[in-house]
Amino acid sequence: MVMTAVRQDVTAADPPSAPPPAAARRRARRRTYLWSYVYLAPMMVLLLAFVVYPIMASLGYTFYKWDGIGDPSEFVGLANFRQIVNDSIFWRSLGHTFVYAAFVVPIQLVLALALALVLNNKRLRFASFYRTLFFLPVVTSAAVIGVVIQLLVSNFGDSINTLLLNLHLIHQHIDWLGDPHFAMAIIILVGIWHTFGYNLVYFLAGLQTIPDELYEAARLDGAGRIAMFRYITIPMLRAVGVVIVILAVIGTFQIFDLVQVLTSGGPFFATEVVNTYIYHLAFGGSNANAVQPDIGLASAASFIYGLLLIGFSIVQVLVLRSLARRRGAS
Amino acid sequence: MTVMTHVALLVSGLAWLYPLFWALGSSLKSDDDFFTDGLNPMPSHFLWANYLNAWQEASFGRYFMNTILITVGTVVITLVVTSCAGYVLARTRFPGRGFCLGLVSATLFLPHGYTIIPVFDLMQRVHLLNSLWSVIIVQASGGVVFGTFLFMGYFMAIDKELEDAAMVDGANFHQTFARIMLPLSGPMLATVGLFTAITAWNSFFIPLVFTLGRPELRTLAIGMYAFIGENSTEWTLLCAGTVITLAPIILLFVLLQRFFVNGLAGAVKQ
Repeated sequence: MVMTAVRQDVTAADPPSAPPPAAARRRARRRTYLWSYVYLAPMMVLLLAFVVYPIMASLGYTFYKWDGIGDPSEFVGLANFRQIVNDSIFWRSLGHTFVYAAFVVPIQLVLALALALVLNNKRLRFASFYRTLFFLPVVTSAAVIGVVIQLLVSNFGDSINTLLLNLHLIHQHIDWLGDPHFAMAIIILVGIWHTFGYNLVYFLAGLQTIPDELYEAARLDGAGRIAMFRYITIPMLRAVGVVIVILAVIGTFQIFDLVQVLTSGGPFFATEVVNTYIYHLAFGGSNANAVQPDIGLASAASFIYGLLLIGFSIVQVLVLRSLARRRGAS
Repeated sequence: MTVMTHVALLVSGLAWLYPLFWALGSSLKSDDDFFTDGLNPMPSHFLWANYLNAWQEASFGRYFMNTILITVGTVVITLVVTSCAGYVLARTRFPGRGFCLGLVSATLFLPHGYTIIPVFDLMQRVHLLNSLWSVIIVQASGGVVFGTFLFMGYFMAIDKELEDAAMVDGANFHQTFARIMLPLSGPMLATVGLFTAITAWNSFFIPLVFTLGRPELRTLAIGMYAFIGENSTEWTLLCAGTVITLAPIILLFVLLQRFFVNGLAGAVKQ
């Protein structure tokens, strides 16, 4: 405060015609600061209005019973939290989300690493063409892919059944999206397919950071392919690997579009994940599970989910870090 | 060995894209053709009329224009807002810079949860509800943190001497940014622009919520979802809609994929 006051005094006292260099520099600096705020303002406004404020506001909604029309008025205290914690469908959706992550992440990472190792071979021609083929699903809309898969399965489920029966892969007809297990399996398969490309590119980037000299030295020492993978590739990928695993897990917990389009959480909540559960609470159910919209309940559920995810991320980071360190030390 | 690798990669790569080929093939089939030989993506003859019908009768033309407007609007706003913010955060030590940076970083870790309701409420209060603007602004605000960080990192890596030289030559703050720094950030403009374009084009949740009561504002993805929800049986038309939705963004990606892939690789390597 004092500093600014003095500074203002000095500037004010200077005749504007011939300002001494120090004052001119100060004025220039102040103008720079002023323009810096102007440049920063649009970003900060968007951030405060559409990211920070909504987080605070939705926390406020958790204490009200509110259908989203007018202003929230019916204060219910912690009742919403109690109701969510006691709702078995909330816990089942959480379970489905974990099942989805538990299948998608390991399968996707193993397949992506395997393909990345093949494509990383410098003598392999057209490697970037193949990368594009396998990456392409990433840029397609999950909702539209959901529509395509639904069209395929609902119209030609029988054809797929016949095909698989003829190949002796299955022994009876399957109701693909009507059977709870197969509906989940289809969501998992499409989920793996859709975001596989991210992990492929991440692993390729990680592999390219490993210096060739390491492999050359190992080759001179008579190391085989497997030994090089085990003692060079895996340890060198550890740092990037931790980031890849975290990104993959965070991504799978955001699953919404695919489930909403393919099954809308059905049949009978068998594929309901947390994000579709919250959506149905906030905007009403779309099929058999029609419920009254309740914004307070939806906000409470999403707050609990947010806390669970933060806790889970912290544990995950700590576990992965200590794993990486322990293996690094041995 | 190498031949086998190529055969395996090509066959599995094409099989990997089967759902896309199937949609493309089915979009050109007649209804009979669609049902008799369903899993075969190759149409017996090409029925281009499906596209005309999807474009006109099923409103995909309107959805297409909505999606274009939303995508272009989101990209322009995101690029202007994040390049300016990234520039000053990287280059000037204004008072309060630490606080701003802290706030931006903190939003990455706060539980985002279900913030669409307050956003919806806010849009209602400023009378922007039921307009494409609401989708554009909300969509853009979702990507500002990511874009700002990318631009900040990029501008920090540019040699400071260039800027000093410009200042000595009498360039002011804006001229330095617009004539020196921004032209140098072409690759980053492409990366952030492409990321934003793909996200905005494919966005489902935000346009779903903001067009619930206004069918004429639907984007392609929402149009597809509504079409299947309305129990329509015009499957070949829906497949044409799929191609109309997916083709432009796939084309854009194939042309500019270098920037996208480099951006992703940079994000994970840090």
